[in-house]
Amino acid sequence: MPKVIYVDFQGNRSELEIANGMTLMQGAVMNGIEGIEGECSGSCACATCHCYVDEAYLGHLPEMTENENELLEGTIGERLANSRLSCQIRMAAELDGIVVHLPEEQ
Amino acid sequence: MFRFDPFSPEIDANPFPAYKVLRDEYPCFWSEEANMWVLSRYQDIVMALNDWETFSSAKGNLMSEMPGRAGATLGTSDPPRHDRMRALIQKAVMKRALDHIIEPAHAAARARLEAVKDKQPFDFVEDFSANYTVDLIAYLFNLPPENLDTVREKAVLMVQSDPLTRTKSPEHLAAFEWMRDYADTLVAIRKQDPGEDLLSQFILAEIDGEKLEDREIQLTVTTLIMAGIESLSGFMSMLMKNLTDFTDVRDALVADPSRIPDAIEESLRFNTSAQRFKRCIQKEIALHGQTLKPGDFVCLAYGSGNRDERQFPDPDIYDLERRPKGHLGFGGGVHACLGTAIARLACKVAVEEILAIYPTIHSIEQEIQWMPSSTFRSPLHLWVAA
Repeated sequence: MPKVIYVDFQGNRSELEIANGMTLMQGAVMNGIEGIEGECSGSCACATCHCYVDEAYLGHLPEMTENENELLEGTIGERLANSRLSCQIRMAAELDGIVVHLPEEQ
Repeated sequence: MFRFDPFSPEIDANPFPAYKVLRDEYPCFWSEEANMWVLSRYQDIVMALNDWETFSSAKGNLMSEMPGRAGATLGTSDPPRHDRMRALIQKAVMKRALDHIIEPAHAAARARLEAVKDKQPFDFVEDFSANYTVDLIAYLFNLPPENLDTVREKAVLMVQSDPLTRTKSPEHLAAFEWMRDYADTLVAIRKQDPGEDLLSQFILAEIDGEKLEDREIQLTVTTLIMAGIESLSGFMSMLMKNLTDFTDVRDALVADPSRIPDAIEESLRFNTSAQRFKRCIQKEIALHGQTLKPGDFVCLAYGSGNRDERQFPDPDIYDLERRPKGHLGFGGGVHACLGTAIARLACKVAVEEILAIYPTIHSIEQEIQWMPSSTFRSPLHLWVAA
């Protein structure tokens, strides 16, 4: 299965195998990764699954919807160019090895 | 034969033993009294919340609905229209947008406490939470200062139902109509003189180049007022009940106020005021040996899912250390409570101010009268003393 590497704000790395089709938010929440909340269960309605995607993978992600874009304006952690909502990123072969950094606060 | 009547005073008072029977023995139970299925296990409720195509909100989401409401509010709409409506308000209620409310919240809490400082005991519901939430919503929505007491009175009545008829009584319906008329006057004022406040954004916004229907605006504004005043006050009262029932937790918060958010989250899990909501089946689905048919209503018992030991070990213990991720205290899925950031902030400020002046606040001997509501659970009064 393809791998995701979650790096929390203190630099701790967690490497997980996530099935294709599962979102990075689900992968985090189901595996006890602190630093992602996912309050709306992945409905793109809350912005508590904010993550910073490693530059190398940014271009492989599906295009951001207007809804995601607006929600990212409301994240607690500073919005950067590589900010995405992890509930909108579904695991796929081309994302194998993707590294996402988690903000200090959601 | 086991019976579960979500309209009964017994369930208002203490639904938890019945929930356990449901979870363990009848995980998909047909309640004749409610004329709907009841889902009580955490996993099943989460599944339903995330499958709006099968479990639709468009036929009503409150256990006893108000006429004309279904399909016209945020909570009673399905995607895709729901998502467009929600997007209009979402940004204004997120945590980052609420810095401006912190000082007014502290001021309101202090003022309400000052007003009862010589009253011992005082009623936490009538003397504090009911008024404090009105103050906050009046500020957030820029409500006219006249007749806020009446606004509150009507909000409280709207969420109740008659335990005997299992529907809204004339009094409850009248309160709902009053609130609708009130929403109409607010809308008229804003259209004349729009501001930066939350309501203005909603009232004047457009989806796909079209303004929202008057009915949608009116009924959603009605819901926002009801939720902001009554649901929030109800939850805050449950939080204070927990702190006065579990004085060791109260003491831990006095010693370390930074833990107040943990107490709030555990309260949301332990006995959220938002106990039961409903959905309407759109596609046949089999669950636990039962067949749910299109048109059937289903009760999602959040209060039960939150006590499911399959998800939360030792669920009947109020544990400040727990940090219950994924609790259902605010619902979940696309309709997850819009007011979560407001509620957390309001409760945190309230508890900070209260424990600062009353570190040994405790409840006195009393028989709790529970609000007669099939959806919400909170005490009508909570007598406390310093």
